[in-house]
Amino acid sequence: MRKLEHRLRSRITIVLALALLALACPAFAAQTPEEVAKKAVEFGIEVARIGLWREAVYRWQKAVEIDPSNASACNNLGVAYEQAGQSDLAKEQYKRALELDSNNLYIRQNYELFREAYEKRKRKTGRSRRSP
Amino acid sequence: MKKERGRPDVAAVVRNLGKFAAKAGTGALALTGTLFAISLGSCANYYEVPIEIPVSAKLDVSDYNRVLVASFVTQTTEELDLDAETVRLLRNQLRARSQLRVLEAELAPLGDFSETTLKGSGKLDEFRKLEEEARADGEEEISRQEWIDMEQDKLLADSDYWKNIGEEYQDPLIVSGRLTFSSEARSGFARGDRYVRDAYGRPRLVRSTQFQERTGFILNAEFYFIDGRTGKSIHRERFTEEVIYGHDERTSALSSYLELMDRLLPNFLSILSPQTFRGTRILLK
Repeated sequence: MRKLEHRLRSRITIVLALALLALACPAFAAQTPEEVAKKAVEFGIEVARIGLWREAVYRWQKAVEIDPSNASACNNLGVAYEQAGQSDLAKEQYKRALELDSNNLYIRQNYELFREAYEKRKRKTGRSRRSP
Repeated sequence: MKKERGRPDVAAVVRNLGKFAAKAGTGALALTGTLFAISLGSCANYYEVPIEIPVSAKLDVSDYNRVLVASFVTQTTEELDLDAETVRLLRNQLRARSQLRVLEAELAPLGDFSETTLKGSGKLDEFRKLEEEARADGEEEISRQEWIDMEQDKLLADSDYWKNIGEEYQDPLIVSGRLTFSSEARSGFARGDRYVRDAYGRPRLVRSTQFQERTGFILNAEFYFIDGRTGKSIHRERFTEEVIYGHDERTSALSSYLELMDRLLPNFLSILSPQTFRGTRILLK
């Protein structure tokens, strides 16, 4: 009887230890959609930095699908579309990123540079000034 | 905007901290520095990346194999052959940066409407006569510039003239247009910031406003793209560029014209051929 009790106790201890480990270690714990999206965004950056922009677009699109509130993914998609010459899509993504995180200076900077590059070129008259 | 450092910079920080720590001989500091740098690296939440933005040509030139840069109607206050310089420059650029074959042809100048040329050719007398006639008939008077614009429009819209040139050179795409280059006084008060060192050798910014004698050069270019088969204009685009020089810079009219054309050329070329613009953007984690 004592032996059985002892076995039961040790099993409960093992199960509790495993449960604690699972809670403590993120690898065992189920990831939230936000975390999955964040990882996809980070991987997208990794591949974009070595020139694999198509793969990056795929990752960032996935990130937006999983977590539509991820402003970084939208911003990065804007950059990737701009790089691909798809200015309408880039504009859409930058605007979306700004809607999600209007105080982010980096997104604002990207959007301003994008507007400068595209919308000014669309104008019929080019005008610039330079002082010494 | 305060910039955080990306990973490449963090690596440099690690190296520098490591070197410093080794020099100081403090292992603890080296460890702390390394840990600090690693934590910085893991915190870097943005990356600046270079991008190349492709921009397609504004004009579909697939119907043409060749391009003829013809002459321009010009008006300038400077001692400069605006027509010849522009034709030479555009032909060189198109030869290097477009798919079209550039035709070499000597065409008669289209028309110079500069003050000295108008006086020499007696065209100003013609204008004065028209002015007097209009006054006598009680018609609305037009300014000299309006008259010049109308005369230039007539030349540029002469489809028979352009069609004849098109036939002569086997229906190329013809580039012509209107060029105005002038200088204007731009003197005035300008803010001049400079750094001075105080008694302790620390730099200090001193802001002042002073009168500066300056000259501005302005280039107005309206390019006409004419179909050599019909003699009609298929696209028009206008650019204005200005550069201001200080009195001590002593820049000639020709070099400032070349500087302005250098700025304008990418926009001109983007009408006929696809271009790539380089820039940097920020990727966020």
